[in-house]
Amino acid sequence: MKFVAVIRQVPDGESRLKIEGGKVDLGGVTMILDQMDEWAVEEVIRLQEKHGGESVVVALGPERFEEAIRTALAMGIDRAIHLVAEGYLDPITQAEALAKVIRAEAPTLVFTGGQQADWDSQALGPALAEALAWPVVSWTTQIELEGETHAKAKHDLDEGAEVVRVALPAVFTSQQGLNEPRYPTLPGIMKAKRKELKKVPVSASSKVEILEQTIQEKSRLNKMIDGKDPVAAAHELVRLLHEEAKVI
Amino acid sequence: MIADKKLSSKGGGWLLERPEQIFTPEDFDDTTRMIQETVRQFVEKEYRPVAEALEHGELEHNIPLLRKAGELGLLGVEVGEEYGGLDLPKTVSTVIAEALAGTGGFSVTYGVQTSIGLLPLVYWGTKEQKDKYLAKLVSGELIAAYCLTEPQSGSDAMGAKTRAELSADGKYYILNGTKMWISNAGFAHLFTVFAKTPEGLTAFLIERDTPGLRLGGEEKKMGIKASSTRQVFLEDVKVPVENVLGELGKGHKIAFNVLNVGRYKLGAGAIGGAKGALALSAKYAQERVAFGKPIAQFGLIQQKLAEMATRIFAGESAVYRTMGMIDQALSSLDKANAAEAVLAGIEEYAVEASIIKVLGSEVLDYVVDEGVQIHGGYGYSAEYEIERAYRDSRINRIFEGTNEINRLLIPGMLLRRAMKGELPLFDAAMKLQKELLEPSFEEPEDKEMAQLEGLKKLALAVLGLAALKYGKQIEEEQEVLAVAADILIDVFAAESALLRARRLGGGVYAEMAALYLYQALDRAQAAALSILPRLAEGDDMRLMASAARRLTKHDPTDLVALRRRIAQKVLEAGGYPQPKA
Ligand SMILES: Cc1cc2nc3c(=O)[nH]c(=O)nc-3n(C[C@H](O)[C@H](O)[C@H](O)COP(=O)(O)OP(=O)(O)OC[C@H]3O[C@@H](n4cnc5c(N)ncnc54)[C@H](O)[C@@H]3O)c2cc1C
Ligand SMILES: Cc1cc2nc3c(=O)[nH]c(=O)nc-3n(C[C@H](O)[C@H](O)[C@H](O)COP(=O)(O)OP(=O)(O)OC[C@H]3O[C@@H](n4cnc5c(N)ncnc54)[C@H](O)[C@@H]3O)c2cc1C
Repeated sequence: MKFVAVIRQVPDGESRLKIEGGKVDLGGVTMILDQMDEWAVEEVIRLQEKHGGESVVVALGPERFEEAIRTALAMGIDRAIHLVAEGYLDPITQAEALAKVIRAEAPTLVFTGGQQADWDSQALGPALAEALAWPVVSWTTQIELEGETHAKAKHDLDEGAEVVRVALPAVFTSQQGLNEPRYPTLPGIMKAKRKELKKVPVSASSKVEILEQTIQEKSRLNKMIDGKDPVAAAHELVRLLHEEAKVI
Repeated sequence: MIADKKLSSKGGGWLLERPEQIFTPEDFDDTTRMIQETVRQFVEKEYRPVAEALEHGELEHNIPLLRKAGELGLLGVEVGEEYGGLDLPKTVSTVIAEALAGTGGFSVTYGVQTSIGLLPLVYWGTKEQKDKYLAKLVSGELIAAYCLTEPQSGSDAMGAKTRAELSADGKYYILNGTKMWISNAGFAHLFTVFAKTPEGLTAFLIERDTPGLRLGGEEKKMGIKASSTRQVFLEDVKVPVENVLGELGKGHKIAFNVLNVGRYKLGAGAIGGAKGALALSAKYAQERVAFGKPIAQFGLIQQKLAEMATRIFAGESAVYRTMGMIDQALSSLDKANAAEAVLAGIEEYAVEASIIKVLGSEVLDYVVDEGVQIHGGYGYSAEYEIERAYRDSRINRIFEGTNEINRLLIPGMLLRRAMKGELPLFDAAMKLQKELLEPSFEEPEDKEMAQLEGLKKLALAVLGLAALKYGKQIEEEQEVLAVAADILIDVFAAESALLRARRLGGGVYAEMAALYLYQALDRAQAAALSILPRLAEGDDMRLMASAARRLTKHDPTDLVALRRRIAQKVLEAGGYPQPKA
């Protein structure tokens, strides 16, 4: 069996983004393996630990993605394919490029993040399934293989969950609760240096072009409630939350 | 140039030359960065959930934490692969020490296990001893303690009273005595104990359940409460002769060499702690409103933030510069007789290790003190993290050789090397005397570099004069030696900051380097002038005093503006503005 995780590198949610000339400036930002992709990597490693076979990560992005790829290798993935492309590519274009490589790999299944933290898009998994003409199970919280041909999976819906049986190969996207990912051990990090990382240049042109970016700024109201009379203050707080903020 | 010869590979060599290149955190390779990230995750995922309990005396949490650290490979960084270790560069061990700093007492538990705990075995253990204990120490299955200090002897380690006598049948040593302040004692399985034999100080490996070994209760400490610290009582403890570690009578070598390693890691840990304390303080200053605005907008708060960041930058630069020198020296070693060679390599940089120990621990104490101040009344409350940082910091000036002892070691070791002809200190001092009599008034091209050279010359002049006047009696002139040490520490830190800032292309880093250098010059001048009247008299003294002023000369700068600009960067970064690689 062969299990593939498709990963991306994204800005750490804790770092402060800046806009320079209508573009997000990533200069001072820490880049990390997308957390939802980390769940995908963890699940792929667990599947391999349970069923044997091989685990592979595939990433499409600029050179700097290599760091995130190394992290996945250090966690325990066997080898990596890096489709190198600088600049923005929309999810459909990405999926087409990824599909070519993944089809050639002929894996048992593919796992990727339920959502891409950088562009806040949920499209990559479904678009990839479409490009491969494979079924997709999104927001997966549990997966179990039934031989090599089928998998049983639980996945989140808007207001609940569903258990499905899906024919393999298929694409799964991750959801919180899927697993608690491990982090690299030092021997894992050392071993990762010797693992295969194949680079494949990609020349694709994006179907969507980004013209301008802005960051949503919310200034605080800094409204202070006089606390001399605690009961009155509590009433006032409830009133404000109800009538002005309209949150309760 | 002070000296014509290039000495960059020698410990203390920077004092006589103008170094061009230094190693900096921006040079860390991917492996080092990934290990740093693993430690960060370890702290978040394993330590954080038990931090409160540990602080409140549930010291047993140290044990699974060490095991987990073992699983991750964090206990074997300096151990060979045959015992489950990874044998990585010393920089990595330093990066780990820095990243663990926020764990307070646990960082001491970890430090004792990986430094003074298992390194004596790594460097001096026989194959049998290593086979028996080392792999288990690396996995965290066994925990180690190191017992040198006694109730009556701390700094004066050679004054140990614990005795070891050979049994009549020659199979055992019988140990009697008391050890004091023993970290990890509460849960350690293996104790490295130093005791006097007829040959001198000797180290022994003693297992926890050996009859006659008894523990005192937990000490009630000011800080690092998560660590275990106890007395260890030895009453007729029978230790098989196979458990003598290293040679009989050569225990002092083990004791002192292992301390060298501990010192640079302590310095790195202190810098890590200081970064944490600055982040807390910068965040608090932005949130706390007084007189209608965040206190971060007040000049006196900005001044503190700028000073804190500047000292951290200088300290961090000095730490990793040293690690670069050590790793470069060790990388060229022949692995065959590795232990001896590694120790010699580390010993070569003992001066730098002491500098970093003093510098790091004092930067940290400064930063946590100002951190509490920025927090106002809340800084005095245990509800705020800065309170623990303040208490945890204080031990660093005391253990791994008190800062007084380390200050004395810095010029002491340099002088000893000069006497042995390993460092042409006296040549340089002679040349300098001539130069001081015939000063040149040319404007230097590179002012800051010239100022650093001025500081080096001043340190040399103080050392040279004192050596001339007191000869072997110089050891009695501790105050003079400490002045030399302070100038040496400052110049090493200032130079490290400046060289690094230049590589970083200026900006806030150049400003921090400039601020540090400016103050170093002022401090050096005041310190030198305070002891010159003891070293010389009359015209000689006046001549030296004017030379001291000339060597530390600088134009007045608007330090207010400088600090405000630095503070701005601290506030933007939400703490120490860590340079990006
Ligand atoms: C929390 C904690 C953990 C520790 N862990 C360990 C451990 O695991 N193993 C271990 O063996 N030890 C350990 N120690 C002991 C530690 O190393 C000693 O406390 C330290 O070496 C200082 O010794 P001392 O306390 O006896 O002070 P002293 O040596 O009595 O010093 C008292 C003061 O006199 C000064 N002084 C001493 N000699 C001189 C001199 N010649 N010239 C000028 N000034 C001098 C010192 O600088 C200091 O200011 C620990 C201590 C503490 C507090
Ligand atoms: C143990 C303890 C006992 C106390 N007992 C009493 C008591 O009995 N009665 C009582 O009324 N109070 C008491 N206090 C409160 C104490 O007086 C305040 O903590 C103190 O006035 C500081 O105020 P703060 O804590 O709000 O700090 P803040 O005023 O928030 O100050 C935080 C930091 O900002 C600085 N800062 C504030 N304003 C400026 C400015 N304009 N320019 C520059 N810097 C500024 C401060 O110097 C400080 O470094 C006590 C506090 C403690 C900790």
